[in-house]
Amino acid sequence: MRRGDLVLLGSLALGTVLFALLPSFWAFLASSAYISALLISSVGVVYGRAGMVSLCQVTFAGIGGWVVGAIGLSTSLPFPIALLVGALAAVPVGVVIGLPALRLRGVNLAVVTLGFAVAVSSALFVQGFPGARTNQPVARPALFDGERAFLLFTAAIFLLVAAALILTRRTRLGAAWEAVRHSERATAALGLSVPLVKLSAFAVSAFVAGLAGGLLAAQLGFLNARNVEPVDSLIVFVIGVFVGAHHVGGAVVGGVLGAFFPELLRRLNIPQDVGPILFAIGATQILAQGGRGLAEILARRRRPAAETRAVVYLHPPAGPPPPPISGRSSGDGAVLRASGIGVRYGAVVALEDVDVALARGRILGLIGPNGAGKSTLVDVITGFHRQDTGTVTLGTKVLDGMPAFRRAQLGLRRTFQTERTVPSLTAGDYLRLAAGGHLDPAAVGELLAFLDGPDPDTPVFGIDTGMRRRLEILGCLAARPAFVLLDEPAAGLTEEESTRLAERLREVPGRFDVGVLLVEHDIDLVVATCDEVVVLDFGRVIARGEPTDVLASDVVAEAYLGV
Amino acid sequence: MLNTAIASLTSGGAYALLGVGLVLTYRMTGVLNFAHAVVGAFGTYTAIVAFEVGVPYGLAMVAGIVVAASVSAGIGLVMARWFAEATTIVRSTVTIAVFLGVLVVGFRLFGDTPRVVPAILPGVRVEVATVTLTASTLVAVGGVAVLAAAVAWFLAKTRTGIILRAVSERPTTARLLGAPLQTLVVAVWAVSGAVAGAAVAIIAPTRTNDYASLAILILPALAAALLGGFRRVGVTILAGFGIALVELLGARVPAVAQYRTVVPFVVILGALLWMQRKEVWDEAR
Repeated sequence: MRRGDLVLLGSLALGTVLFALLPSFWAFLASSAYISALLISSVGVVYGRAGMVSLCQVTFAGIGGWVVGAIGLSTSLPFPIALLVGALAAVPVGVVIGLPALRLRGVNLAVVTLGFAVAVSSALFVQGFPGARTNQPVARPALFDGERAFLLFTAAIFLLVAAALILTRRTRLGAAWEAVRHSERATAALGLSVPLVKLSAFAVSAFVAGLAGGLLAAQLGFLNARNVEPVDSLIVFVIGVFVGAHHVGGAVVGGVLGAFFPELLRRLNIPQDVGPILFAIGATQILAQGGRGLAEILARRRRPAAETRAVVYLHPPAGPPPPPISGRSSGDGAVLRASGIGVRYGAVVALEDVDVALARGRILGLIGPNGAGKSTLVDVITGFHRQDTGTVTLGTKVLDGMPAFRRAQLGLRRTFQTERTVPSLTAGDYLRLAAGGHLDPAAVGELLAFLDGPDPDTPVFGIDTGMRRRLEILGCLAARPAFVLLDEPAAGLTEEESTRLAERLREVPGRFDVGVLLVEHDIDLVVATCDEVVVLDFGRVIARGEPTDVLASDVVAEAYLGV
Repeated sequence: MLNTAIASLTSGGAYALLGVGLVLTYRMTGVLNFAHAVVGAFGTYTAIVAFEVGVPYGLAMVAGIVVAASVSAGIGLVMARWFAEATTIVRSTVTIAVFLGVLVVGFRLFGDTPRVVPAILPGVRVEVATVTLTASTLVAVGGVAVLAAAVAWFLAKTRTGIILRAVSERPTTARLLGAPLQTLVVAVWAVSGAVAGAAVAIIAPTRTNDYASLAILILPALAAALLGGFRRVGVTILAGFGIALVELLGARVPAVAQYRTVVPFVVILGALLWMQRKEVWDEAR
């Protein structure tokens, strides 16, 4: 945990104790603020971190509150256990409604969650919550019955959740959420199942919202449909967008706004529904700036140096080249083979009867004019596009029909023509995410030094394009794959960088025990690195062999120059 | 059965009109407009208030539709000004904020109790054999037919329609080719808002019509547009009528009658499950 986070959590704890000394009305409001902050944190996970729009967070809270009430009526379980069960009950519900929306792109989750919020509210919640009809309130936890004591309990739950969410930032799961927000393709290429990553975010957010609902039930004693209306989910979401809900500070600001702002308006004799209107305007303003919320803007203003500091590049130690990097490569495939590959887009033939074979320890260049089908072939081999004919095998394993993330897990890694590193991670965290398993700091340093990388703590958004491209390659290598497919790694690099990359690429097969498929327009780079070259033109292989021989042949000259 | 089907035509027509509006703004300006129905409800309530203070019925309705069109055009202006290059998800998130804003402003202005809404030409009925068609049914179905034909013609045959399709796919390219982007986008939003205002006004006399309930008409509209894949106007229209029919059939069965609002949700779930057969990536290569 960073120092700033500890200071934030510490001052919240201190502030809460102060509030607990005030009259109970203020303690009640402060509890409300924490419950709202929990709800907003749940938005922070699903929207702020994983980039999906969910409009039923308050419905999850209602489900949590419902279950807590039902448990209180029929059992004598202690409140904290009932609270946990209530929150857990929201998770499978979230999974069931989230599942259909996750494999599709975009705003489908928003549509399905809005439908869910309205359906549950009008079909279930209006029938009354447990205990409401028989006038049996939800009991508060034994030692925390008073308004001030209950504030301490609520604050403790929030601080626990906030600390846990902060800690997930450095975990694989947290990094995977960042990756999926940035790009689904990149996530799959890192060997992560996109639906699973999204579903985990949705499930965690349902859990946090369910906790908030259980606390709300205990705070109010009786829940009714009015407390958990679909419009409240909209308000929570919009506040979340406005404040930057993925930030603990943002969630707290949002909670305070949600609980104290109406009170302030009431005292000023201003209609209380002015609040949501202002939140809506604020959220629109934040979105127009392309920002991630108020919290981020404030944080940037406080420490501008961190964002703009010069990137420190590591340089490889002088002297003899280091020995092969330790650790075993994954995958048993000695040969990666694509045979008879054909792809059609309607009447356009992108690939026809293409055969390519690549052995470990070798570099195969794949060249050809624009539109020759090079990237399509990479997509077919790595599982991002389904071929119409032909088959792809890794060793003895047939890969046809296997999803992209599984192929990546089997040791087939790729980069993209437009780099797709994850801007919100640090270089080191990106490599750890890409590695798929454990990667100790020494190995991170060793990798970064290999391609003149930046300091591992440098945020990816702060480094230049050339470096990001190299970082993407390092991410592939960090996973210790059997094969890497590099789609124009030298595009956008300066000549100097390109020469340096060629030197290093030459070392890659030996050091990392991989086979490399290199798609490239930079002919110098191809000649300097490749053992063999395949030339594509209009989707067909027109030449293959030693780089110098192939490049000297007439068919290749004709394809490139039209002479 | 036949009479049930006829009775669902008014709702079906309104769902179809709203759904087509969603498809239009999605296809032409790349936004999934969550604020669509609430803007229509805002217009309809303006019309109701105008009627209550003595404005003649026809004039009040026109005023309502104009207000809906203007509010919608305002959203369009915001989109064109500030979000021309934003992704669909960002733009759609903006409409969620707008949904909330217009909803709350409406609560403030109109309250949250149902009103008496005058039906369209209450005396007018057409009787064919055993079937009675009210004026609102005729207007709903006629409106859908006219809109569908107009949209199909506009998108396929007119230069402006083709430019708009280009705008939705590549805003910058379209602008470089000389498309008056902002004017076109605002115009599309205005038309879609006007249609939403008319659709909500048609359906308002036939059901619980407090302001929030009318805003929630976004759900059947979303379900219909989703079934049309946010592309196909014809399928969206059929889906709108289909959803209304299912709702009404459900309402006749006492055991499930109170679960009317669950229908759009079930349709949405079913549509998503069906669409998920194919894996779709989030962006082009």
